[in-house]
Amino acid sequence: MRAKSRPRARVREISAGRALQSGEARSQRVRVSVVILGAGLCFAAVAGQLARLAATGGTELVASLSEPMATSFARPEIVDRNGRLLATDIEMPSLFADPSLILSRDDVVEKLATVLPGFDEAETRRLLADRSRRFTWLRRGLSPQLAQSVHNLGLPGLSFRDELKRAYPLERLARHVLGAVNIDNRGIAGIERYIDDQVGVETVHAATRSEGVAVRLTVDIGVQHSLEDELKLAMGRYDAKGAAGLVMDISSGAMLASASLPGLDPAKPSEAQDPARLDRVQGGSYELGSVWKTITVALAFESGKSVDTIVDVTQPLTAGRFAITDTHPAGRPLTIAEIFVHSSNVGAGLLALDAGASRQKQFLEKLGLWSQMRTEAGVVAAPQLPDQLERAEQITIAYGHGIAVAPIQFAAAVAAILNGGERVQPTYIARLDGDATPTRERVVNLETSKAVRDLFRRNVTDPHGTGRRAEVAGYRVGGKTGTAEMPGRGGYLEKAVISSFVAAFPMDAPKYLVLVSLFEPKATDETQGEITSGRNAAPTAGRVISRIAPLLGVLPEGAAAAPPG
Amino acid sequence: MHSLTLSAAFLALSSAFLLYGLSYDTRQIEARVHGQERLAEKARSDIAILKAERAHLARPDRIEPLARAQGLAPLGEQQIAGGSGSSAIVTGSTAR
Repeated sequence: MRAKSRPRARVREISAGRALQSGEARSQRVRVSVVILGAGLCFAAVAGQLARLAATGGTELVASLSEPMATSFARPEIVDRNGRLLATDIEMPSLFADPSLILSRDDVVEKLATVLPGFDEAETRRLLADRSRRFTWLRRGLSPQLAQSVHNLGLPGLSFRDELKRAYPLERLARHVLGAVNIDNRGIAGIERYIDDQVGVETVHAATRSEGVAVRLTVDIGVQHSLEDELKLAMGRYDAKGAAGLVMDISSGAMLASASLPGLDPAKPSEAQDPARLDRVQGGSYELGSVWKTITVALAFESGKSVDTIVDVTQPLTAGRFAITDTHPAGRPLTIAEIFVHSSNVGAGLLALDAGASRQKQFLEKLGLWSQMRTEAGVVAAPQLPDQLERAEQITIAYGHGIAVAPIQFAAAVAAILNGGERVQPTYIARLDGDATPTRERVVNLETSKAVRDLFRRNVTDPHGTGRRAEVAGYRVGGKTGTAEMPGRGGYLEKAVISSFVAAFPMDAPKYLVLVSLFEPKATDETQGEITSGRNAAPTAGRVISRIAPLLGVLPEGAAAAPPG
Repeated sequence: MHSLTLSAAFLALSSAFLLYGLSYDTRQIEARVHGQERLAEKARSDIAILKAERAHLARPDRIEPLARAQGLAPLGEQQIAGGSGSSAIVTGSTAR
């Protein structure tokens, strides 16, 4: 019995030992598992952190509640066709207040009034009255000196924020073309508006300059300055109320200069509201007078007439109760060339009547004179057109009355006639080299174009030509005069005229078109008591051409003698 | 097994220190980058102002009278030689 029980006890001992070993092993496995799990969690945390850092990249934008988050706009620079700067963004400090931090509103207002010119105390008191606000602008675009003066006051609750402000380093030059921006640096007129609409501006919360490519214009600073300077001198010389002028590439429609005087001061935005400072080149439509005979003779040539076609201009033209006569009647039939050179109203009227109303209207439509035009600088003033094209309207339109268009629109039509017959669209934006050349619509025959070119030149070279005072030695100038009486109460005003001269040069292969208009010039000794275009606008255009032709690389006719010696 | 545990713990700690070091370096580099960016922005702003000043000083209505006072004038007809003639350009000022 005893012998039997011993092996059983031994077996129990062994079983107990195994059970103990098994429990320890399980416990050890659990511990190892816990450690592995812990290490695994650590690695997972590390991996997760690495992945988060990799995914999020930079630090997050954190803005305190009191920090102003005003939006502004970063704009690309504007340069002329040679890359010279016309407009840029510069940093300027703007003053803002946190009304909740201001200790004494009266103290702030009184002290600010001592350093800020034109400071509106009542408005500032109103802005600072609401202490629940944490931010309000007090003055934007301060000069560094003024900002320092305000800083020196040491007023709590006031602070500065750098903002981008538009700067026009050439001051008044090409102001109508460039347009304007508002207080947030957003374009509201002219090329600035075009940049907002077509090129794009960058929304910024700080003074971060735009990294966009500069907008290159077709305008040439040198040509623009020469034009503006000569128009200004002409306004003084002829005591005119205003002046407008443009220089256009006759083939591409690229605007090399466009000026309207009186001009605008970029430091005085309110001037833009003054009607006297309207952009007369494309913001207003005017009856331009006899310069329209360019259109009329082109219509006649398109209708099969030639420069030698004779027209009987000896009798006045009648249209209803009106009789149209010539200022200086020839007293004999005239050729079309003579009608142009002597600027015969009767002759032009007869040519229009001969072409017919339908053809005349169709021709004006083809030249783009019957519909509104648009350029990058904005919408061009709509043409003022007759309701119907009866005999009277046909005649008056032939010599530039009864229809009013913006000078730029008229210039584009004349350019199309002179450039060989292809329609042009005036543009201020320089095309890139890779841009496709737009297909041009032919509006007149090449023969018509050549014939009108000859007449332009003849009008300047002929001793009796109305444009003879526009001649510039060597530059083969051609052109047409136009003196239009301005409409007033009860009819046209005899003494108030718009005096225009449309010119092109060099006339053997015209490259550039120049249009000069003087508004209400007075008779002077220099003009021998006259206010006609041949006496004021034509010589002004000649002076403009004499200055811009060398800048544009137009070689004068004839060679210089070899240097002496 | 014990050594595996120790190794894992060491690896975990090392990774944590390494990660901290990387994060610290990254922040320093970020601060340096922001500093450089601020400098670049300041330089760009200064350049813009200098360009504007240069354009202002070189505006035609200021330069032209100065040039004329020096006797300089645009190229004239008499200064250009034709194709058949001498190609010499007559130089010299025409004081007014």
